[in-house]
Amino acid sequence: MSTSAPDSSELLPELLKVKGLSAYYGESRALYGVGFGIEKGTVRSIVGANGAGKSTLLRAIVGMMNRGRAAHMAGTIEYEGRRIDHLETESIVDLGITMVPEGRRLFSSMTVEDNLLAGAFLPRCRAAAQDSLEDVYSFFPRLADRRKQPVAQMSGGEQQMVAIGRALMSAPQLILFDELSLGLAPIVVDQIYERIVEINARGTTCIVIEQDMKRALAVASDVSVLLEGRIVLEGKPADLGIEQVSAAYFGAAATEPAT
Amino acid sequence: MNEDIYWALIDIANGLLSGAMLGGYYAIISIGLALTFGVMRLVNLAHGDLLVLAAYLAVLVLQFLPISPFITLAIVVPVMFAIGYGLQRYLLNAISVQSMERKGMSTGFGLMSPILVTFGLSIVIAHALLGGFASDSRIIRNALSFSAIRLSEDLNVSTLRLIFFAIAVGILIFLHLFLHRTQSGRAIRAASDDAEIAPLVGIGTAKINALASGISLAIAGVAGVMVGMSRTFQPFDGPVFLLVAFGVVIVGGLGSIVGSLVGGVLLGVTQVLAGTYFGPSAQLVAGYMLILFVLAVRPQGLFARRR
Repeated sequence: MSTSAPDSSELLPELLKVKGLSAYYGESRALYGVGFGIEKGTVRSIVGANGAGKSTLLRAIVGMMNRGRAAHMAGTIEYEGRRIDHLETESIVDLGITMVPEGRRLFSSMTVEDNLLAGAFLPRCRAAAQDSLEDVYSFFPRLADRRKQPVAQMSGGEQQMVAIGRALMSAPQLILFDELSLGLAPIVVDQIYERIVEINARGTTCIVIEQDMKRALAVASDVSVLLEGRIVLEGKPADLGIEQVSAAYFGAAATEPAT
Repeated sequence: MNEDIYWALIDIANGLLSGAMLGGYYAIISIGLALTFGVMRLVNLAHGDLLVLAAYLAVLVLQFLPISPFITLAIVVPVMFAIGYGLQRYLLNAISVQSMERKGMSTGFGLMSPILVTFGLSIVIAHALLGGFASDSRIIRNALSFSAIRLSEDLNVSTLRLIFFAIAVGILIFLHLFLHRTQSGRAIRAASDDAEIAPLVGIGTAKINALASGISLAIAGVAGVMVGMSRTFQPFDGPVFLLVAFGVVIVGGLGSIVGSLVGGVLLGVTQVLAGTYFGPSAQLVAGYMLILFVLAVRPQGLFARRR
């Protein structure tokens, strides 16, 4: 395992710290002692081939790998200095982390507005729910026109906007985005990523899983490459360069990153 | 000749009317079952017995308090809510599909275990009622038992049935507003749509399931008191109401409040008309024929939500 972290990072407060994280689905193992830290206000891209363990990593962070024998994990996850690896998902979300899941996973029988309002279920979000709703509508104007429309009748891009809006409704500090571009036209993906940049500019820390490596590097302040459940490369996109990231992605003989 | 037509029409009108009234009451019997299945994918085989339990609770209350049977609802409904909440929170959540998967059991096992547990619960409740109240038939006496409202000279409707129908419609409207206008209601629908993702917006499914189950039994409590006021009941009558509830859910479609009302009314009208023309024994047969017909033609039910 080769990692490279610029020295300055030691000084910044880490919002999320993952140490020795291993995860299992029944007998099969998906992560092997993964560790990394995320600084507040940054965007971390996690790249890797299918089955490298990217989604598992995100699921572990939001407490979805605490499923007994079916899916379990070992290691520690700290958020703002506090262990969260034993918490239920709803408690983790209450602390300020949420995820935009792969495949959007909207509440399919509900309207746009109901999906968004469901995002403000937590008691700490309820008082501000109407304001948050207007925020999301100004952030995604297209949703404002369709607030009463059932989400099942919307295009994939619009559904992705609802999924992101729903996540924003819980006023998160850290959002995990799992394969935002899956099944969407490139032009739509561009629009979505503009919004991610904007979300980050407002101070929300982001972790992004993205198949399109160019896009993943463009949006990221830091990148981690996962290969078969291990982080094999880590650093700033500008320092690493796309060739090195690609090599790590495909598991080419580990080349020491330039530091 | 004209008189024959008049009487034929009066028969049909009376049948439609009393069938529709019966339907409101059927809707209330079934909505709890539909709600627990819709939200938790849990077929509660004890639903009918819990409903009978509510009727006995009203009997018990009336032994101590000389109040109108309608007022017993103020005690029976909260007690049934608490039973539903506790049952889900402390028993049924522990044996749900998700819990069983956590314990390393298969999904099939997880789907089967609530059926077995609620079946056992059904037997326990029936026998507890037998032990506590003996097997005598009971009825909750009330001033309105034999009262009817005359709509015309030959067209009558039972006052009690009319009141029940109004209560049923009121409950269904209230439930609809609750599910669509409140955060708890939205959370119940969200958990019903995608139980894995609901926690990602902070919805704790253990509590939400318990809430849904509490509401389901609170409504079953109303239904139980209605049942007790309009007919005799015994400790082992639970399955009768469970079957009515299944019938309504099959006809109306799962997860639809309008469906439960329409399903209830269709079933009620079919039964009453069959009873009018072919005698009392035809009532049940006609009801099951309707259920079979809907299953054959539109297995998802008339108002099923598309998935």
